[in-house]
Amino acid sequence: MTPTVSELLLGNFLALSEPPPPESMGDFMAGRIGVTGMIAMLAAQEAERGAEARLWENAAIRDLLTRGGAAIPAGAATEEGFSITGLDRVNAILRKALIALHIAAEEKGDTALDHAILRFYVKSADMRRLDMPPLPPG
Amino acid sequence: MTLQAQLEAYLTRTSGKPTRVHDLSRIPGGASRETYRFDAEVDGARRGLILRRDPVGSLIDTERKLEFLAFRSFHGKGLPVPEAVALEEEGAELERPFFIMGRIDGGKAQSPFSLPPYGEHAEAIGEQFFSHLGAIAAADPAGLPIAEAAPTPAPDACWSQALDYWEGVIDADEEHPQMIVRAALRRLRRNPPPPAQKLSVVHGDYRTGNFMHDGAGRIIALLDWEMAHIGDPLEDLGWAIEPLWSYGETDRVSGMVPRETAIAIWERASGRKVDPAAFAWWELFASVKGAAIWISSAKEYRAGGLKDPVLGLSGWYTARRQDQIIANALARLEGLS
Repeated sequence: MTPTVSELLLGNFLALSEPPPPESMGDFMAGRIGVTGMIAMLAAQEAERGAEARLWENAAIRDLLTRGGAAIPAGAATEEGFSITGLDRVNAILRKALIALHIAAEEKGDTALDHAILRFYVKSADMRRLDMPPLPPG
Repeated sequence: MTLQAQLEAYLTRTSGKPTRVHDLSRIPGGASRETYRFDAEVDGARRGLILRRDPVGSLIDTERKLEFLAFRSFHGKGLPVPEAVALEEEGAELERPFFIMGRIDGGKAQSPFSLPPYGEHAEAIGEQFFSHLGAIAAADPAGLPIAEAAPTPAPDACWSQALDYWEGVIDADEEHPQMIVRAALRRLRRNPPPPAQKLSVVHGDYRTGNFMHDGAGRIIALLDWEMAHIGDPLEDLGWAIEPLWSYGETDRVSGMVPRETAIAIWERASGRKVDPAAFAWWELFASVKGAAIWISSAKEYRAGGLKDPVLGLSGWYTARRQDQIIANALARLEGLS
């Protein structure tokens, strides 16, 4: 999975906690500080929207599996908790089942289900998007 | 021993003359290799150089010899490519593999996140950017130094070798099921492109951020050849036009020129026509390749103890953006948007 907010914010601390060697003090450290700032800014969005996006995605995958006649995998019928880690654990199980369903739909030529899954991908990617504001030309 | 002392020891031994290193400074970016600028002083004369050293962990696993030979293939051939000076695959005094190349001063590499990246010089930069890429595509790789180390695929195998490689990266590094890129991989397998019209040197990472311009409309250095290989030149064109580099803009590619203009410039410089069906395949492939790189970034970020924020950002923000691009492309290809 992509790094979690917890990992990224811990990483920001770790990235800046060790004194750099002399040759990395100038532009390199300035660039590194800039990237940690970007991560912090985007992490604010993920903190606000991340759980909602995962809850939506897990429910949408269950709907697609049901529509496609596939069983909801064991351990993924409901959320086991509402932490990001817990939601991601269920999401991984559901995504594997969805990939299998999508392959089956492609092989059977089930265009309606294929298209429903493709539309879901668009919505899922949009739900998880992070909005990077433009930087001024450097 | 400091890196400066290691460099001085290496340069003194290989040149046979006492060499001093001045102003050694690491450059931001270059997540796949540590990059430093420095001046080497020999007999009172100073020369600006760049050191590219393998890191402990990396964004992309690449062969430094291929990158070195790629620089050597195009330096002095009418393209703004720095001179490749020295290669040490065993690391010598620097303990990790590295190479040294000439430094081109007076320019800057643009962040893909800046808007508008090139201001009033967008058209001029676009003309050079796609024209240079066309010139790379036009060159016969058989007579170039890179052919010493890069395998030459059959024209009808370029696509499968490229796809096999990047699918292998995804298989190896995927830590969470990637439903969107998996769908794209299957589509690419079901709909292979025609054979390459010709074999070319593929830069491999030809995009905004990997060249320097002088701020007045002139490209002065084509950099970061670390993924160079021999293949279908449409691979590079697809990567250069990838929406990821057109940050926030839909009417221009890479913040430079409209898509049709970019293709026309490339066709003029390469002497080749772009087959739309083949190019559609290479465009989707470019997005899949991007996804593979960002998936690797996330894995490497964790493996490296979360200490490299560039890997973190690439494995998170960029991966999410790439998912959006691929999902929309898959829908568009099915007439759903």
